[in-house]
Amino acid sequence: MSSQLLHEANAQPNLTPMLDMVFQLITFFMLVINFKTATMELSLKLPAIGSARPVDTEGHDELLVLNIDSQGNLLIYGERKDIEEYVASEAAVSSLVARRTKPDFKLGDELSTTVVIRADRATPFRLLNKVISTCQRNGFRRFALKAMNKEA
Amino acid sequence: MRRKRRARIHNEVELNLAAMLDMAFQILTFFILTFKPMPYEGQISLHMPPPQPITKVDNGEAAGADPTNPNPVQGLNTLIITVFGATTGQIDGLAIGESTVAGLGELEKRVAALLSDPGSGFDQVLIQVGSSVNYQSLLDVVDVCTRQKLADGKNLTKLNFVELPGG
Repeated sequence: MSSQLLHEANAQPNLTPMLDMVFQLITFFMLVINFKTATMELSLKLPAIGSARPVDTEGHDELLVLNIDSQGNLLIYGERKDIEEYVASEAAVSSLVARRTKPDFKLGDELSTTVVIRADRATPFRLLNKVISTCQRNGFRRFALKAMNKEA
Repeated sequence: MRRKRRARIHNEVELNLAAMLDMAFQILTFFILTFKPMPYEGQISLHMPPPQPITKVDNGEAAGADPTNPNPVQGLNTLIITVFGATTGQIDGLAIGESTVAGLGELEKRVAALLSDPGSGFDQVLIQVGSSVNYQSLLDVVDVCTRQKLADGKNLTKLNFVELPGG
């Protein structure tokens, strides 16, 4: 008799609405997650200008993101890398890709990869110029200088 | 009839949602912890070949070779802007060619006038930058240049930088 009473007093909450809500939250986070942010060094303070346009790859999806801090260090996934070595290795990879589509591609020809430069606003030009000229020597010609939009 | 109803009640299946909810919370926690909102960034797209000689030698004319030519600078198609830097990284002075410019406002007016003039023939800009000039100051000048239109109505996209010798 007493055990039957206990059994009847068991409360079972309806978990279905909670599960619905959790699934909705999971769906939201799955849709907004962007793994590209991993390549960006978010501690950098980008310059702010008026004519910065939203990112437009113009059909070129190959991007080489270079984060440059105020001391001119190249940061890739949070780690410091040697500029010459890193750019040369990326240029070699881009050349291999270019040879697949253009068999007559020669070393030193223009690469289709766009170099995205995310530099701190305090970076002196002599350090930035070292990065740009290294990229140019390795065949990169398309550049995108990242900045925050003043009007935004 | 009564018997049938009771039998149906006993056959009801109750799913245990607790395990599924546990798993869903774990996935939700993962997404919340790894979520980094993407910053709203813009960019200036440039096509920058390595710096070339600043005159078109094929169209160039030796000084004084044709005294009847009223426009001896025709054939020079690169507009040179010089940015001098202070030790703080700010802009210390600006010049177009050899003529000094008071500030970014005046630079914009003069560059706009030069590039949109069909007789000037400028189609690219070379910015000579002092080594101490910081990225923000450089982009302020680039910003002025990329807002300009050429004489044919197209936007200026040919732009390059060189380090100012001794700058």
